[in-house]
Amino acid sequence: MSWIREGELNLIEKLSANILKAGPMPKHVAFIMDGNRRYARKRQVERQEGHTQGFDKLAETLRWCLNLSIHEVTVYAFSIENFKRSKDEVDGLMELAKQKFIRLLEEQDNLEKHGVCIRVLGDLTLLPLDLQQHIARAVVATRTHNKCFLNVCFAYTSRHEIANAVGEMAWGVEQGLIKSSDVSEALLSRCLYSSNSPNPDLLIRTSGEVRLSDFLLWQTSHSCLVFQSVLWPEYSFWNLCDAILQYQLNHRPLQKARDQHREGQALQQHEADRACLADLLQHHGNGKPLDAQRRREALLNYTASREERVQDFLGALQALVRSGTDVGRLGLS
Amino acid sequence: MAIVYEFVWQVLHVLLHIHRTLITWFRIRLRNWNGRLWSRALTALIVPMALSFPNQKNIVPAPGKRVDRRYRWGADGKSLEKLPDHIGLLIAEEEPRYTDIANLVVWCMAVGISYVSVYDNYGVFRRDNSRLMDEILKQQQELLDLEGSKQLCVEFLNNGTDKQDQQVLSCQSVLKVLSPDDGKLRIVQAAQQLCRAVEQRDKTSKDINVTVLDSLLRESKSTPDPDLVLKFGPVESTLGFLPWHIRLTEFISLPSHVGVSYEDLFSALQRYASCEQRLGK
Repeated sequence: MSWIREGELNLIEKLSANILKAGPMPKHVAFIMDGNRRYARKRQVERQEGHTQGFDKLAETLRWCLNLSIHEVTVYAFSIENFKRSKDEVDGLMELAKQKFIRLLEEQDNLEKHGVCIRVLGDLTLLPLDLQQHIARAVVATRTHNKCFLNVCFAYTSRHEIANAVGEMAWGVEQGLIKSSDVSEALLSRCLYSSNSPNPDLLIRTSGEVRLSDFLLWQTSHSCLVFQSVLWPEYSFWNLCDAILQYQLNHRPLQKARDQHREGQALQQHEADRACLADLLQHHGNGKPLDAQRRREALLNYTASREERVQDFLGALQALVRSGTDVGRLGLS
Repeated sequence: MAIVYEFVWQVLHVLLHIHRTLITWFRIRLRNWNGRLWSRALTALIVPMALSFPNQKNIVPAPGKRVDRRYRWGADGKSLEKLPDHIGLLIAEEEPRYTDIANLVVWCMAVGISYVSVYDNYGVFRRDNSRLMDEILKQQQELLDLEGSKQLCVEFLNNGTDKQDQQVLSCQSVLKVLSPDDGKLRIVQAAQQLCRAVEQRDKTSKDINVTVLDSLLRESKSTPDPDLVLKFGPVESTLGFLPWHIRLTEFISLPSHVGVSYEDLFSALQRYASCEQRLGK
């Protein structure tokens, strides 16, 4: 299969994998695949060749992830900022992407066999129309697969993603589906492009740069960040193992930080619900103060109704997005 | 077979833990040993003031030397190819040492960095900000021989107003004390504000974009995003530090803020100066 290289690990690799798997393993790994152009300069080949080798390395890395039982991978393939590059390079990358998606669609049987679900995250309206259509076909074709997940960030920046999520919540308010007071961290997370995935446990950036470059800023706030100096097309199984080892060393403190954050979030939501209820009673109540029992019941009712509103909104949003993918991109009416 | 793998894994992690502990121990010993060597060399020889030498904490500096250090640190800052406009000090350790953090803040100011943010995962600095401020003022006097609050303005990250902009202009450096609430929670609050505007028909959902959200999240028009974050501690994560603002921030990790020296800070700044930002191109 072109997107996931066939093959198994050799004996030493298998042994190392088994040792690593004795400890906590990341379920979702994100990659910033940096270094293709520097690799091309180093090898004195064309830039486009660097990008092609980068794609081959992705296929190999996905194979290793499957061998290590990592079932969800997110990759930063093309940033909105990358449109600033020369027209030749951008066109070359778009053409490469188109070829790869066409190839993917030809391998439907293999995709079904491996249960691969492809999702593409980003502002796809910025891409050439034919590429949008190929992407839509690939996403629709693999939508029901659930053994492993590959999220490709294309025409993506994290700030656009967050702003888009806020815009969607504002749409919900406009439609009367939710109130502005229903906006919360949890709801925002569910409006992001990545809402169907858990947050990445591990983020790896290659080529020695030590920044996030507008990638998954919201989702990686408590992820293990590993910066490796190897160039992406030269990435090896041992680099991946090294990153996973770093994840294992950081596992406990990060788990603690995540739990603490979640508790704080729950407390904030509880306080917000109380404040909203107090507001509601003040405006719509009959003036008589409620006793503790009644207040508890009222709070529970308010929380339940808020959650119901949110569910209805998310359902409506999903239907809208899905129809946008099918109808808009495939040119159906 | 699974038991064998688990055993090997445990051994591996014990070895890594010992390795990490030994490195930390050696680092501290080496610095102390270096320090003693230097101080002996200095007392033995007559070294001209022009030569820079490692700053010794156990030697109480005479007032004249403090002024020299201030100029040296300023010169160091100017000698770098680029200096961050805004530096973040992310303390990812359980127990913060206020003196060390105050030292870091004072050194950053002396080197010429305009905005310094201090952050910890538990929000301790935010809650206990007066203690941090007292320590910083004390170290300012100790290290730089500066009195009063002329050189340092403290700003707590809250809704920026024009009034705050005016205050900032009169300061050489601005200190921000941040907590996790300034991260995701702040973004959620901005989102609520925009949704309320939509509810009241002041805006439509189509009006919401990156620029609009960014202007709400920018505390004051002049405050830049952090260019550099120095992370102190073994945990490899941003731990909720300003998710919106760190899109182009360089992250440099230092083992610990406890006993950190000016040289540690300066070598991190040198590393920052040599990095190249292509901004997508």
